[in-house]
Amino acid sequence: MSTEEIVAMDHVSFKYGRQNVLDDISLHVKKGSFLGLVGPNGSGKSTLIKLLLGLHKQQDGTIQLFGEDHRRFRGWSRVGFVSQKAASFNSGFPATVKEVVSMGLYGKKGLFRFLTKKDRQRVEEALEKVGMREYKNKTIGQLSGGQQQRVFIARALVSDPELLILDEPTVGVDAESVQNFYTLLKELNEQQGMTLILVTHDIGAMSSYVTDVACLNKCLHYHGGIVDYEENREELMNRMYGHEVNVIEHNHDHHHHSHDHDHDDLHGGRPG
Amino acid sequence: MEWIQDWSFLERGLFAGMVIGFLSPVLGAFLFVRRMTIISEGLSHVTLTGITAGLVLMQVTAVFSWLNPLYTGLLAAIFGAFIIERLRGMYRAFEEVSVPILLSAAVGASAVLMSLVPTSYAEWYSYLFGSILTVRQEDVWFTIGVGAVTLLLMLLFYKELLAISFDQEFASVTGVPVQRVNMVFTLLLALVIALSMKIVGILLVGALIILPTAAAYLIAKSFRRMLLLGILFGEASVLGGITASYYLDVATGGMIVVCGLLLFTAALVSAFVRGRTGLGEERIT
Ligand SMILES: Nc1ncnc2c1ncn2[C@@H]1O[C@H](COP(=O)(O)OP(=O)(O)OP(=O)(O)O)[C@@H](O)[C@H]1O
Ligand SMILES: [Mg+2]
Repeated sequence: MSTEEIVAMDHVSFKYGRQNVLDDISLHVKKGSFLGLVGPNGSGKSTLIKLLLGLHKQQDGTIQLFGEDHRRFRGWSRVGFVSQKAASFNSGFPATVKEVVSMGLYGKKGLFRFLTKKDRQRVEEALEKVGMREYKNKTIGQLSGGQQQRVFIARALVSDPELLILDEPTVGVDAESVQNFYTLLKELNEQQGMTLILVTHDIGAMSSYVTDVACLNKCLHYHGGIVDYEENREELMNRMYGHEVNVIEHNHDHHHHSHDHDHDDLHGGRPG
Repeated sequence: MEWIQDWSFLERGLFAGMVIGFLSPVLGAFLFVRRMTIISEGLSHVTLTGITAGLVLMQVTAVFSWLNPLYTGLLAAIFGAFIIERLRGMYRAFEEVSVPILLSAAVGASAVLMSLVPTSYAEWYSYLFGSILTVRQEDVWFTIGVGAVTLLLMLLFYKELLAISFDQEFASVTGVPVQRVNMVFTLLLALVIALSMKIVGILLVGALIILPTAAAYLIAKSFRRMLLLGILFGEASVLGGITASYYLDVATGGMIVVCGLLLFTAALVSAFVRGRTGLGEERIT
């Protein structure tokens, strides 16, 4: 594994109005790692992702992408993204699955450039990877929610990004497809050396795929290798959620306890 | 380009009409998928304010007696485009409110300005409902200029516009300069609206932007086809409308809209027959 840092966040803080959402976050992601980002609802995971992607501006601290200051960063085509709210688009939009996936290539192409034959082939390949090739000529609104989500995953993959950021990408995707999807991510990570950041609530399933874990709840409670994480999981979960999370069952309704906890004194425990 | 000078009013009107018949549905397709077709109404009324301001200037001050109200209309439309973009930014989740705000301001200002100058009913009629009789030679040059600029910029930004229309957040993440592209688009819209004014008139500009696209949406299965079909319907409406108005001696703008409406009805019937009207339904999840 190379030591090049793809993401370097230092002392980053963010507020929505007066509400402090992220507090002094320092998070470094090395090339080739597969980071699982976990934390209760409202813990600031999506906000952190939006900061990384330049959709929000942090009030404090610095962010570097590929070693370049984030505000001057222009290589957005090296970054792929699947949003938590992918289903918020207008479902009546008269675009075919192919057209939607092609949009993932637009950042790479300059102005005035149209898609080439090779680009169209890449679109097909991306659809193949998520098992949606046979739907390529369907209108996006004609697909089920989970199928749409898979198309959005293909849209993120089609540009062959070096860094792929996924914010709860498998919401509404059936169990078998989630398995296939995680396997695909692992392949991308291991074979192509793609760096991945995956936000998920599926803590149990995640553990067998990721190389690193970051636990977030306003501040960073843990960031390190999966092995260390597994060893300290019980204690970590207690700190973040207030009790051990049942990793087999769905754990969404447990999260609301989290806000009551004051975690400022719990900061630390991050190796390295 | 000597030959343009020999054109009859009908040829000038046809030419300007064909340019508009092409550009309006192109912009309309993007407005349609962004649920912002109503912007065209706001901008057309601001154009009217600009035109009335121009007329006032012409009549009140000797210095401006040469003025073509089309240009003040265009200036107002561009100004309106800026205002709309600013308001949209302020009301993020409720961007459509920017249109009624602008529209009422524009109509109010027009009413005041109109009362300042004596203008004949016929002149107002031609601004409100269009008339190819009023297409002058300099308007043809204006049409060529604006048409070329619009076409070029639409080609340049096609991908970006499509990406923004579908998913603004994703477009912005992939490096599309969302705000700038939005601004350019609204400016182009202002240009095309100022352009269409002579032919279809203020009150009917919106129809030519939306009817062809609305019809195309019922038939097309992809965005690209919707765009192409919209252009086809737009051109058909313009040609049919101008021809009919010439032979029947009725209002051009009105006849163009009637043609658009006929095509729309045909599309509706065909969609109904093939049971494809449910495409736009929201998913129930
Ligand atoms: N647009 C917004 N305006 C104001 N506050 C916001 C906004 N978006 C999020 N917040 C607040 O910021 C905090 C973090 O939200 P965020 O979406 O980052 O959480 P999350 O970890 O992604 O949660 P989830 O697991 O539910 O997706 C929440 O407490 C929320 O109330
Ligand atoms: Mg979230």
